[in-house]
Amino acid sequence: MKFSRKTLGIPYAVFLLLFVVAPLVVLFYYAFTNGTGEFSLKNLTDFFSDPNTLGTLFYSLLLAMTTTLVCLLIAYPVAYILATSKMKSKPVIIMIFVMPMWINFSLRITALKEILTLIEGNLAFYPFLNSVIGMTYDFLPFMILPIYNTIVKLDGSLTEAARDLGANERRAFMRVTLPLSMPGIISGISMVFLPAMTNYVVLDMLNNSTFIMGSLIGSYFSAHNWHNGSMIALVLLGIICVFTLLTDRGDEKDARTGGALL
Amino acid sequence: MKAKHLLAIALTAALLMTACWILPASAGADGEVVLRVCNWEEYIDLGDWDAEEDIIDLDIDLEALDEDEKAALIDNWDDSEILDGDQRMVFGKNPMIEDFEEWYFRTTGKKVRVEYSTFGTNEDLYNMLTIGDVYDLVCPSDYMIMKLMAEDQLVPLSESFKDQEKETNYYERGLSPYIRDIFDSHQINGESWSDYAAGYMWGVTGFLYNPDKVDEADASTWNLLENRKYNRLITIKDNVRDACFAAIGAVKSEMLTSEKFRSREDYAAALEAEMNDVSPDSIEKVQGYLQKVRENVYSFETDSGKADIITGKIVASYQWSGDAVYAMNVAEGEEEDDDVEVNDENRKYLNFSVPEEGTNIYFDGWVMLKCGIGNDTEKQQAAEAFINFLSRPDNAIRNMYYIGYTSAISGGDDGRILAYLDWNYGAETEEEETGTEDGTEAETAEAEAEESEAAEAEEDAGEDAEEEEPTVEYDLSYFFLGMGQHSDDYVLTVPESQLKRQLSAQYPSEEVIERASIMIYFNEEQNEQINRMWTNVRCFNINQVPVWIWILLAALIVGGVAFWLWRRAVRNRQYE
Repeated sequence: MKFSRKTLGIPYAVFLLLFVVAPLVVLFYYAFTNGTGEFSLKNLTDFFSDPNTLGTLFYSLLLAMTTTLVCLLIAYPVAYILATSKMKSKPVIIMIFVMPMWINFSLRITALKEILTLIEGNLAFYPFLNSVIGMTYDFLPFMILPIYNTIVKLDGSLTEAARDLGANERRAFMRVTLPLSMPGIISGISMVFLPAMTNYVVLDMLNNSTFIMGSLIGSYFSAHNWHNGSMIALVLLGIICVFTLLTDRGDEKDARTGGALL
Repeated sequence: MKAKHLLAIALTAALLMTACWILPASAGADGEVVLRVCNWEEYIDLGDWDAEEDIIDLDIDLEALDEDEKAALIDNWDDSEILDGDQRMVFGKNPMIEDFEEWYFRTTGKKVRVEYSTFGTNEDLYNMLTIGDVYDLVCPSDYMIMKLMAEDQLVPLSESFKDQEKETNYYERGLSPYIRDIFDSHQINGESWSDYAAGYMWGVTGFLYNPDKVDEADASTWNLLENRKYNRLITIKDNVRDACFAAIGAVKSEMLTSEKFRSREDYAAALEAEMNDVSPDSIEKVQGYLQKVRENVYSFETDSGKADIITGKIVASYQWSGDAVYAMNVAEGEEEDDDVEVNDENRKYLNFSVPEEGTNIYFDGWVMLKCGIGNDTEKQQAAEAFINFLSRPDNAIRNMYYIGYTSAISGGDDGRILAYLDWNYGAETEEEETGTEDGTEAETAEAEAEESEAAEAEEDAGEDAEEEEPTVEYDLSYFFLGMGQHSDDYVLTVPESQLKRQLSAQYPSEEVIERASIMIYFNEEQNEQINRMWTNVRCFNINQVPVWIWILLAALIVGGVAFWLWRRAVRNRQYE
């Protein structure tokens, strides 16, 4: 027998098989069978004919898009200013933005709930707003870091060249810096949008009584309806796959290194 | 190369071992019986009580008992911590499970090891069983017991378990006649609950409310949920069965509270039928009602309601009685909770009310599973002994004190449950007062005047009357003797406030019990309809999206595509 470095991959292969492939197979099995174990496409047609499921998908998308947009609007200026300034204490400031990630997430949301109650009086009147605030609070660092990492590595001479050639500051930013920081933006978007679609714990803790995809799947499972629940999970998986494929095209490897800091 | 190979093998082995470790390791060592018990979270005494504060002094006067009674008491006494020579104490030093293992070995000479695990909801438990998890003894609620019975998943309780003569059959000897009656009279497929299930805890549903903010009259109907006066200040339970029950009560409120309905001869049966009405017509009304409720409540909660009412975010909360007791204790500063801190500023006295329309009486009971017990008589014996051990009055008291719910055990001839109630809720009588009074008060009284003893006693009594609130009599004969029975032995003298506080939640009065109804397990078809109703209530319906949003979306997409095409065209032209 010959041993190669590939042997070292065996543990991961086993892990992959046990915890990634096997659950997926089970998911597929339940999604395409009915109560008696026969093959059925009914779950799929249920998904697209049920106004509740479609409505929930709509609501989840709306929530995730709003959250992503708010995150982007806050994160880009912060990342840009940080990356282009000549401060010595930059790492410290970056640290401050990342630090909340080191605190347990349910603890942070509980604290946020108290703060929002102080401001709003009664949380229950603004469920959508609160959910957006909660998720923005939670996911903001995921947006800042990739963008910061991209901008900080940009070649400053390119902007200077644009200025030399007569572009004003705004135009130089729009035509040079912004397009070049796209990989970071896309990476940030995918890191915020995907969890925002499914993370229902924040909604639950902030009293939003409208189901999103995660809670809908949960409700199907507690009603012993594993088949429809699995199908919803599968369709969601499909949507996320398509999204990731689309965004990956413009993604560059180094834009991702921000993840290492987390 | 060899080293790498070894490393790979080691890593794989480690991974596989972790995987195997998760799987339950059954079959104990030589002759040891392994009992796999699955119970609700936080639903058994875990011991480690505070030796200063948590001593339950039942204060039973041994002198007053005759020899037989005394012997019986002392017999049962041995594992209760005795802290004082002549008084009965209950104290949780070790976890209940450890105590059981020790007790079982001492009484039968056999070793037992309990593998204890917990579940969060009945549905979780059922899903765990469906996946293939194996347990011997589990503690689901009434409707889940009915489902498991109907699916033939349970092992019936043995004949010897039901033998009243046997000394250690604490369950059969101590079960409350009232609970026994319900377990005997409710059947599924011709078999009564009591053939398979042993009651553990029970309770009713109602509203926990802040009497400073909510009128008592408002809180005594299920319609509180949609009362606009308390807009966004009430919570409802986040599960379909509890929400459905409350909604049925509210929708049928007028009929259920009418004199005509209340005075029907078959009131109890009629009430049960009405509260379990899941006809399409009823479900439609329930859905409409819950949709209104959704716009009026603060949140759908499973656990946060207790903390939210204590911190004052809400003023009323739909609660199970056991949780209500716990929340009242925390709010009064009697008990500590991880989620809320109660100090002098936010300390409050909460009340519990049971709506007039009717309430859901629920049970959690021990059942033995076929998948675990099978034909293993040794195991079944241990499982039944476990039930009996938990039903021994002092252990029932320990569990009640620890978790706040109400035990199904009344103790039979054993007076300890009643003594515990008196210890916990009874108004302090004058004799006790002088007996327990210590230090400071007595001294100041002495210093005040050197008058005759009689005058002093009179003065004391006068002061007490000023400070203390009036007392009332609270009859719990139904629980100890059975519905419709009455005996002065089971009438407690309690402070008036307890009529709305912990006592009324932990042991509802007979008048409340009369309007209590169980909620049955619905069949597949009915369940599907109820669950559909629930998604209709909770989900955002796509038809709710206004037309202009669709038009806006379409415009955005068309605009985006057009912009992109235009940009491309411009760029191409530049390069040409």
